[in-house]
Amino acid sequence: MILLEINNRIVEETLTLKFKNALAGHKPESIDITIADFDGVLFHISNVGGDKTKVRTSISLKFYKELQEHGADELLKKEYGSLLTQVEDGYNVSVLIDLENVPQNWEEIVKKIGLLKRNCFASVFEKYFDFQERGEEGHKRAVINYRNDETMYVEAKADRVTVVFSTIFKDEDDIVIGKVFMQEFKEGRRASHTAPQVLFSHREPPLELQNTDARVGENIGYITFVLFPRHTNRTTRDNTINLIHIFRDYLHYHIKCSKAYIHSRMRAKTSDFLKVLNRARPEPKNVEKKTITLVYVVFFHQT
Amino acid sequence: MAANPLQPYLNAIRRTLEAALCIRNFPSEDVERHNKPEIEVQDSTNNLIGKPLIISRSPLERTLIESSINSVRISVKIKQVDDVDAVITKMYMRFLTQRADQFRILRRKPIEGYTISFLITSIHCEEMILSKLIDWIIQFMYDIDKELSDMKITLSKRARVVAEEYMKQLL
Repeated sequence: MILLEINNRIVEETLTLKFKNALAGHKPESIDITIADFDGVLFHISNVGGDKTKVRTSISLKFYKELQEHGADELLKKEYGSLLTQVEDGYNVSVLIDLENVPQNWEEIVKKIGLLKRNCFASVFEKYFDFQERGEEGHKRAVINYRNDETMYVEAKADRVTVVFSTIFKDEDDIVIGKVFMQEFKEGRRASHTAPQVLFSHREPPLELQNTDARVGENIGYITFVLFPRHTNRTTRDNTINLIHIFRDYLHYHIKCSKAYIHSRMRAKTSDFLKVLNRARPEPKNVEKKTITLVYVVFFHQT
Repeated sequence: MAANPLQPYLNAIRRTLEAALCIRNFPSEDVERHNKPEIEVQDSTNNLIGKPLIISRSPLERTLIESSINSVRISVKIKQVDDVDAVITKMYMRFLTQRADQFRILRRKPIEGYTISFLITSIHCEEMILSKLIDWIIQFMYDIDKELSDMKITLSKRARVVAEEYMKQLL
């Protein structure tokens, strides 16, 4: 599994089970589960007002307000239409499915709900990709604080869209490993000539973000993607959004995987070293121990 | 192993160790009924310590062998060319020193300026077969170099695959 899935599998599987049970005519059971996803996203699947046939999936994103500024509501309306329902308290978006009349395309709906997080993110990209398509310049840069202390900036120019991620490396070793990865991303164009340009700067924000409140620090990295019209046009943009919005998680996931791999290797080698070292100790000499057996000989005097 | 460029360096260490590890049980002269590794006793008047010896392969790679009447301290500086080397080595050494108890001859803290230190006392020499102990140290130095560079290669290989897969998708 090199690429991360952008849908939420638990949500999908739960809803699929619900639909399948309903189709098979089983009695619906009550449900109440909370699922965590990347970037502090929470899903909540529950029944509305105790009615077991109404299953509501809600999502909470800490930065939903910022997404709303960029037309998240409109995009979700377009995508989910009549599925949208009264928003649950403490969440940002809710969709409702009715198990009493299962629609023909239920599998499609399940897929769609699984992509809820991705679609929330998509609005800001779609908006700026449109700006680029129409050649509009001078729009304010979008700022999305997608995690605590981590920010994403999107800006459109007539000929390209730049997406900048700021990310924090919690561990100082991560910075070094992260740099190795970023170096490869920079050179990633070798793998495909159509790939966007990737830039990486450590500690200081890139030129475009200077004179903003972008943070500066030892453990901060900035990753810039320069997307050209070939990535932002109507046919490829969905794919681009799918990949771009998960980038930060993708990078950190692989940094952790590398560390885990190194660790398991160290463990194996260390036990190897120990085994060899123990061979240097001579085996304790096995002295055959003899037990003393007493033989009683009883004489009977025959009288 | 004959074609190994590390061989002359390791040979020099082996010879030195063979000479240095002629140690015997020797109780402390300062404190009655104490028996401690003299090499660890920081005292200018201590005349039980031999001259330390540094075997250096390059400015980045060297071994310090300090001997005394009842103990020998071996400190190794492992080659670290860049940040990645430093991080992997640091991780590995932390891993090893946490298990110093199991290794018995491993020193919990390396000598300043070195990556890892061993302390061999006369007790160890009595418990273990000396020639095998020296073999182990040489093998350890050879393996650790190989292991660290292997890890570095797999790390960048992984990074390359990860980046390429991502970029290939991004048409």
